[in-house]
Amino acid sequence: MNWKKERSEKVKSPSSDERMLPASGGRVWSIAMGVAVALMLTLAQFSPVAAEEVAAGNSAAGNSAAQENTVPDAAQLMKEAHLVMFYAADDGVAEVQMKIVNSRGKERLREFAMMRLDLEEGGKQDYYTYFRKPHDVSRMSFMVHKLPKETDNRWIYVPSVDLIKRISSDDKASSFVGSDFTYEDISGRHWTEDTHKLLKEDTYNSRKVYVVESIPLEKYKGFARKVTFIDAENKLIMKEEYYNAKGDLARIFTAERVEEHDGVLTSVFRKMENVKKKQYTTVEFSSIRYNVGMKESIFTERFLKNPPREFIK
Amino acid sequence: MITMMRFIQKMSVTMMILAVVATAAAGTEISGFVQGLYGYGSDRNNPVPSELTASEVRLQMRLESYSDAAEYFGRLDFVYDDYLEPEYRMILREGYLKFSVGSNVDMKIGRQVITWGTGDLIFINDLFPKDYQSFFAGRDDQYLKSPQNAVRATFYGGPGSLDIVYTPRFAPDITPTGERFSYYNPMEGGYVGGEGFIMDPALPDAEVANGEVAARYSKYIGTIDAALYYYRGFYKGPVGMAPDPADPATMTAFYPGLQVFGASLRSPVLGGVFWTEGGYYDSLDDSEGDDPFIPNSSIQSLVGFERAVNQSFTANIQYQNIMITDHDRYLETLPMGMNEEDEMYHLLTSRMTMLFLMETLNVSLFGFYSPSEEDFYGRMAVSYRFTDEVTMVVGANVFESADPWTKFGMFDRNDNVYMKFTYGL
Repeated sequence: MNWKKERSEKVKSPSSDERMLPASGGRVWSIAMGVAVALMLTLAQFSPVAAEEVAAGNSAAGNSAAQENTVPDAAQLMKEAHLVMFYAADDGVAEVQMKIVNSRGKERLREFAMMRLDLEEGGKQDYYTYFRKPHDVSRMSFMVHKLPKETDNRWIYVPSVDLIKRISSDDKASSFVGSDFTYEDISGRHWTEDTHKLLKEDTYNSRKVYVVESIPLEKYKGFARKVTFIDAENKLIMKEEYYNAKGDLARIFTAERVEEHDGVLTSVFRKMENVKKKQYTTVEFSSIRYNVGMKESIFTERFLKNPPREFIK
Repeated sequence: MITMMRFIQKMSVTMMILAVVATAAAGTEISGFVQGLYGYGSDRNNPVPSELTASEVRLQMRLESYSDAAEYFGRLDFVYDDYLEPEYRMILREGYLKFSVGSNVDMKIGRQVITWGTGDLIFINDLFPKDYQSFFAGRDDQYLKSPQNAVRATFYGGPGSLDIVYTPRFAPDITPTGERFSYYNPMEGGYVGGEGFIMDPALPDAEVANGEVAARYSKYIGTIDAALYYYRGFYKGPVGMAPDPADPATMTAFYPGLQVFGASLRSPVLGGVFWTEGGYYDSLDDSEGDDPFIPNSSIQSLVGFERAVNQSFTANIQYQNIMITDHDRYLETLPMGMNEEDEMYHLLTSRMTMLFLMETLNVSLFGFYSPSEEDFYGRMAVSYRFTDEVTMVVGANVFESADPWTKFGMFDRNDNVYMKFTYGL
C-alpha cells in the first residue's frame, strides 16, 4: 500500500466545534534531559489533527470509517490516528516548553524549537530540534532522519566545541535514559507492528471516541497492551493507557488542550503521567506554523551547524 | 591592585557594550555562567610550585546577535585565578562574524573553535589547537578546544561540501609547561616544574608562509559520513629539539613543520555507531627520517564503536595505531642513551557514561591505555544537577606509567582531584 500523501487533496479546516475539545486527565511523560529530551520531543512535537488528512487517508484506503453507522476497522483507525498525530500537514515548526515534575513536585524546564518535514506520508520524516534552555544545552541542535521500521539516523551538534556527533539509535524498544518515555512513544510506533481490536465506542469528555486495544506482534519492552481513545470525528488521540506485562497500568498519555493552527487541529498541551513513579511531564507548543515550505536541504550538516533563522529565531 | 582595577575597568566597559548591543538589536541574546573550580594535586612528589591544580572563579558571558544578512557570536571569559598567585584574566574565547556569500558559501571569520574528525578524544585529522592544561585541571569539556583566529569558508554543493580554514598565525596546543602541571624532561632525566623549568617554546616566525591551512571535503553517502582531510602547518606540540640560536650548547624545543593527508568514515552499524579514521603525517622538517630530534613521518589510524548498553548506560571503545616510517633510519641516527620509540604505537580507549535519577546524576569514565608504552590516563567525573541552573561536579585525573618518557607517563606526577560548581543562565 502506498501512503504517500496526495497534497492536492487537502481540504479546508474543520469547523470550530470540532476543535473545541475539552481538557482531560493526566498523561505523564517521564522525561529524560539533554539529548534524550531532544529526541523525544523532536518526535513528540506535533500531535496535530488535520481533518483534511483524515479525509484523505480515508479515501486513499477506501475505508468506511468516516461513515457514522458502520463499525470501523481497528487497524484502519490506528493508521488514521497515527497519520493525524505524526504526519499533520507537509511540514511544521513550533516552540516547545517542557516541564518535568517529579514525585516531590520539583520542576525542571526545557525549551526548544522544533521543525518537522514529511517526506512520505506514514514513512520517512526529518526532524530538527534547537535547544534554548537549560543553559548547558543552549544552542545545541539535534537532527533525525526517521526511517520507519529501520534504524534512524541521528546527529547532534555541540556549538561550544564545534562538534558534530552521530548518536546510536538502537533504542526504539527501550526507554530513554532515566525516563519512562520510550523512543517509539515519540516517533510514532508504526501501526503494523501491533494487532488492533476495537473494544467499544465510548464517550470521553463529552465526545464520541473509539477505544482500541493494541497488542504488539513481537514481544515489546515498551508495553504489553495499549488502550487508545481516538476521537471518532477528527481521529485525534485523546488518551492512551500503557499496560505492562503484569497487566498493571504503567503510564497514561492525555491531550489536554487542542487548538487550530493554519487549519490543522493540534494538541498543544499534553501530559504524560508515570503512574508507578508518580511523576509527570507536560509539553506545551506555541508559535505553531504549518506548511511553511520547508526544504529537505534544511536537514543537513550545513543547517545543523547554522540554525535556519527563517524558522528558528 | 592595579591589575584588579584594570580588570574591573575592562569588565565594566565590556558589560556596557554588551548592554547597548543587546538593546539595539532585536535578535540579540545574552547568556552565560559563573563557575568555581578547585583542584588539588595528590602526588606529593610533584615538582610544581603549588599543591593546587586549580582555584579559580570564572564568569562567561555569551552574546549572540543576528540579522537577515549576518550573525555575530561572542563568548568572553573573566577569570580570577589564585591557584598560585592571584591573577585576573580576560579571555576572548570566541568572537566571530558569520554570513553567506551567494547561496552555496558560508563564511565564518574571527576567533573561533573548530573541530572535525571522528575520534573521541583522539585527534588525527583535527589539527586545531587543544588545551590539555584545562583538560587535566577539570575545566569543562569546551575548554579542551582552544580557539584560533581564522577565516573559514565552506562551500556546499551537490558533490559534497568543502571546508577551508586559514589561520594566519600558528595556534599551538597548550600543554603542561611546568607551572601548573609538571612534565618529564629527557634532558634533565626527570620530572620538572617550577622556576627554571617553565617551558615556553618559540612559535614559528610571524611570516605569511607560516600560516596554517586546513581543508576537509565531506559527503554523506547512504548512511555514511565520509570525509577527506588536508593540513599544512606545524606539529601542534613542541616535539622538535634544536640547538638554541642564542646558546648553541643547549637544546630548545620548537614546532616542526607538518603536512597531513587523511580520511574518515562514520556510520550507524549493529545498533551503534562505528567510525574509522586515518592520516599520513608528513614530517616536513625530517622527511628522510634521519633527524633524531624531530619526529619521523608516521601513519596514524583509529577505529571506534559506540552503543547504548541499556537505557542509562552508553559505552564506547577505540583503538589507535601509529606507525613510524623509516624506523630503521631513526634507530641508526638515534644518539646513545636516548630512549628509543617503538615502530608501532598502540592505544586503547574507552568511555562509559551512566545516567541516573532522570539524568540529574551523571557518572562518566574515560580511560586511555597504551599496551606498547604501558601507560594509562583515566578521567572520572560525577556530576549532579541540583536545579536547571546549578550543577556540581567532582572529578579526578589519574596517570599511571612504567616509564616517564611515554605519552601519559610524561605527566605522571599530576594526579589530581577537583570540585566544580556552576550556575548558568
